[in-house]
Amino acid sequence: MAIISVRELSKHFKVSKHNRGTMGAVRNLFSRQHTTVRAVDEISFEIQPGELVGYIGPNGAGKSTTIKMLTGLLVPTSGELSVNGLVPWKERQNYVARVGAVFGQRTTLWWDLPVIESLSLLQHIYKIPPGRFEANLKEFRETLELDPFLNTPVRAISLGQRMRADLCAALLHDPDLLFLDEPTIGLDVVAKERIRGFIQKVNRQRGTTVILTTHDLSDVGKLCQRVMIIDHGKLLYDGNLSALKDRFSGKRELVVEFAEEYANPQIASAELTHQDGSRVTYHFSRDTITASELIGGISAQYRIRDLEVREPEIEETIRRIYEERLLERI
Amino acid sequence: MLEIYRRLIGVQIRGQMQYRFSFFMELAGTALITLLEYASLALVFARFETLKGWSLGQVAFLFGLAELSFGIMDMFFSGFDPSFFGLQVRRGFFDQLLLRPLNITLQVIGSEFTLRRIGKIVVGIGIFIAALNMNPVDWTPLKILLTSLVVVSQVAFFGGLFIIGATITFWTVESIEVVNIFTYGGSYMISHPMHIFPNFLRYFFTFIIPAIFLNYYPALYILDLPDPFDMPAIAPFLAPVAGLWMLTLALAFWRFGIRHYQSTGT
Amino acid sequence: MRLFWELTKISFQRHLTYRAATVAGLVTNFFFGILRAAIFVALYDLQTEVEGITLQGAITYAALGQALIGYLCMFSWFELMNTVYTGDIASDLLKPMNYFSFWMAQDLGRAAVNFLLRGIIVMIGYAFIFDLVWPRGAAQIIAVAVSLVLGWLVSFSWRFLINLTSFWTPNARGILRFFFVLSWFFSGFLMPLRFFPEWVLRISYLMPFPHMFNTVIEIYLGVLVGPEMILALLNQVLWILSLILAGQIVLRLGVRRLVILGG
Repeated sequence: MAIISVRELSKHFKVSKHNRGTMGAVRNLFSRQHTTVRAVDEISFEIQPGELVGYIGPNGAGKSTTIKMLTGLLVPTSGELSVNGLVPWKERQNYVARVGAVFGQRTTLWWDLPVIESLSLLQHIYKIPPGRFEANLKEFRETLELDPFLNTPVRAISLGQRMRADLCAALLHDPDLLFLDEPTIGLDVVAKERIRGFIQKVNRQRGTTVILTTHDLSDVGKLCQRVMIIDHGKLLYDGNLSALKDRFSGKRELVVEFAEEYANPQIASAELTHQDGSRVTYHFSRDTITASELIGGISAQYRIRDLEVREPEIEETIRRIYEERLLERI
Repeated sequence: MLEIYRRLIGVQIRGQMQYRFSFFMELAGTALITLLEYASLALVFARFETLKGWSLGQVAFLFGLAELSFGIMDMFFSGFDPSFFGLQVRRGFFDQLLLRPLNITLQVIGSEFTLRRIGKIVVGIGIFIAALNMNPVDWTPLKILLTSLVVVSQVAFFGGLFIIGATITFWTVESIEVVNIFTYGGSYMISHPMHIFPNFLRYFFTFIIPAIFLNYYPALYILDLPDPFDMPAIAPFLAPVAGLWMLTLALAFWRFGIRHYQSTGT
Repeated sequence: MRLFWELTKISFQRHLTYRAATVAGLVTNFFFGILRAAIFVALYDLQTEVEGITLQGAITYAALGQALIGYLCMFSWFELMNTVYTGDIASDLLKPMNYFSFWMAQDLGRAAVNFLLRGIIVMIGYAFIFDLVWPRGAAQIIAVAVSLVLGWLVSFSWRFLINLTSFWTPNARGILRFFFVLSWFFSGFLMPLRFFPEWVLRISYLMPFPHMFNTVIEIYLGVLVGPEMILALLNQVLWILSLILAGQIVLRLGVRRLVILGG
């Protein structure tokens, strides 16, 4: 049984246009025009319990609209949506009791209160049995290292600490499903790693289903087996992350350190992109030539001292998919 | 339900107490507004003697009751204060509340508690006591009961107006100032004897928005003054009806507004 | 100077865009003005003139109060304070322009929109409902205009000054609110100051508030004329100069403090 099942889900908005300049401002006083925007346009997918799915897309692609519908904040224009066997917006209170959410930009904690007081207030709001609460809190205090700031007001803790506290707050009631929106935004590399490690642990050990939306594609690369890409309201890709990489991983890179300096060491089927003395960089595509064929070809003509093949990073691949609209051309 | 409300409010109060200086400054500010507004009327009474037949003591009776009730309302319903609530919606805090498994109305009420309104309440009580000194009342049990009902009814009535104003911010925050006509304007109006206002306003606040029964008619009864408009004898006791009517209407509109919000977002 | 007008223009356009807010403000102004006029009618009852102000004058005063709320920014102004708390002030201080002028230019744009869209329209609207007093003769019209501009300058230089408290305390909002409440009473916005007992008047004139509003309406209503009027205008100028000077001194101290704190 899928935990989330979405069929032909759409959300349309009316947006008003603004005129510019002094005269435009005066004209705005009297009239305003509307256009309809299809923020989410007939998307369908299913998510099984225990999955950790990356939901990505450029700005304004329809990510947050989808998440708002999944969390019951927005009612769809059309289509079917069932999460945990419930229709989120129809049975809000029952539904959200089994869901956790962290929106990286803002906190669910009470700004002026020590972290621990917010957490114990949430215990009452979610009606968490004292035994469960104690056990969960104990676990999260260890794994998220909350103790150093547990008694500090939220406004006085760092962004990384706040994110840890928010993750704890979202998980205290043992949700089946966890929504994470930009959980690593604004954090340094170490803090990001720590958060990612924790998310992975929650997913594996507790079996919590996680939906992750993020701008930071390295989050997706490190955490998700499955990725969904949305742009202009359409679901462009839904599947395995490594399959995506194989399909679109653009040019591979071969860096060769020659034993001596050659003038223009060109080679068939690869493109010489950079030469710095005896150090030369080639770009090649896996469709035309394999790495070993290429190396063989070069070593037949020139003397090689050292070499290195570089695979494109997943971030690079996805960025190319956005920028060159690779998926839309299929 | 009550237990969780108590906890939510407790959190708000503890939060405010962390900015003690600011808190006392704002407390003094709210007390001062009420005091100076009353003073601006009281100090000119020497020049004018009456407000169309009403003495300062009689006007102060209306003024004190209205101010203290509005202060109580403003304290308990500040989560619904349209200017505050509009911001909460824009900043996404309302979404956070919707993500919690708790009645949304209770959560909004628990999302703010402006303790500083005590300043207004205390000054309101002070003005009310001063009014009783200037203009002694023949108290009967019914009059005492009516006075307390008046306070509750005004709280319900203006609380309802706050809820309506807050609901409007789902559509627009820009024109929210119009709501002030009914909240602050309504409170300002019922702080004065209603017979001084032009007919069209008085009719509006009798038959469309029944604010006239909240303060003026009870005052006529308690101060033993004749009714200049020949309303039925029950008129002084209609305050709870007016209050309940407004609150019920407001809650219905509020539910409608949430449905709208969930279909458009922001 | 070009930069000044450029800022004024931008601010003017920005305030023009608040369409719904302007309409809402107008409706509110009308409503409260009618209530306040009704209170004067009830107070005057059978009297025709009190302290040199006729009932017609008092009603005009009620209209003027509503017309000028937006122009004089009577209720609140936290814009400068907010930039201190958000940190935007750092880049504003680095602009090739005097910091006071930088805000004055923007406030001029705001005041102009409010004068045109709220001030004028409110007065025209009231003219349909009530029989209002209008300035008589070129001399009085000029005096009213000058006093209006001076009133805005008093108001702005005072608002600039009190907003600077945010350099020292994170609680400036509470302090500002307190001052604004004082200004409602002592500027003559709640009641014309001359209706009050002598001692209230004397206290009021120790503060800048009467020079924002009360002076303007007394000149408008023709209560202040001849040498008294000239003196009142000079008094406004004096307050503007003192407030600007105080503002510059406090600003310098505040900036030094910000630099030391590295804020």
